Amino acid sequence: MSAVAQLNLTFAALADPTRRAILARLAEGEASVTELVEPFELSQPTISKHLKVLERAGLISRGRNAQFRPCRLHAAPLKKAAAWIGNYERHWEERLDTLESDVKALHAKEKHHARKDTRRR
Amino acid sequence: MPAKTPAAAEPVADRESLIIRVMDAPAHLLFEAYSKPEHMMKWFGPKGYPLTLCEMDFRPGGRFRFAMTGADGQQTPPFGGQYLEIIPNQKIVYSNTFEAPGSETMVVTVTFAEKAGQTTLTIHTVFASVAMKTLHVNGGYENGMGCGLDQLLDLVITMEHA
Repeated sequence: MSAVAQLNLTFAALADPTRRAILARLAEGEASVTELVEPFELSQPTISKHLKVLERAGLISRGRNAQFRPCRLHAAPLKKAAAWIGNYERHWEERLDTLESDVKALHAKEKHHARKDTRRR
Repeated sequence: MPAKTPAAAEPVADRESLIIRVMDAPAHLLFEAYSKPEHMMKWFGPKGYPLTLCEMDFRPGGRFRFAMTGADGQQTPPFGGQYLEIIPNQKIVYSNTFEAPGSETMVVTVTFAEKAGQTTLTIHTVFASVAMKTLHVNGGYENGMGCGLDQLLDLVITMEHA
């Protein structure tokens, strides 16, 4: 999967408050589906559906134990997502800082050449 | 993933971003910094992500292709597009999209307005959809950064150091 596709999946998974709450719960440690259903006023199939989305996005994995299949959080895609939060405008501000100093250097060079040209005349 | 709303149905005002900076430099130099690969490679990569692929055919209708490399040595997915309009020292309009299937296109208009030795640089981006803007500008969130995501990420970081 490309980095962009992964990012899209991560953000789509995070777009839902229930899924974020599930991840927050899993950040404290593994939990079974039953344990995850408890704090929410939602049915088990609904929670299971959310877990599938999180699993597809690579944010959680399910254990092999057929009875409990505990859910575990995977942090890596979240960290990547964090690096992107609001990145567009922030990245532009950073770029423009560099552009500004580069162009000032160009400008100084140009003025320097202009002075030399004047002297030659 | 759910089907995207057609872009035409979404007002431009909801899917644009405007960045303005007044620079202490003449417009022709800012235009030059935009028009040559040797300059672009110096400044176009955000901090920590220098531009390491920079192919550009700088003329109306010409195409460009960029990629950046992070500190981990991994190149980010290439992105690129087409120069839609170029007015020397005044304006550059280009399309930009990631080379990933299903990636949407943004159209960026850069204007250079010089006055008394200073240039107002305006970067106006129109994203294909509100969803695309939300992803790029707000990290996937309609209403700013809150929504518990910050807390979640804090937890993840704490967990990793535990």
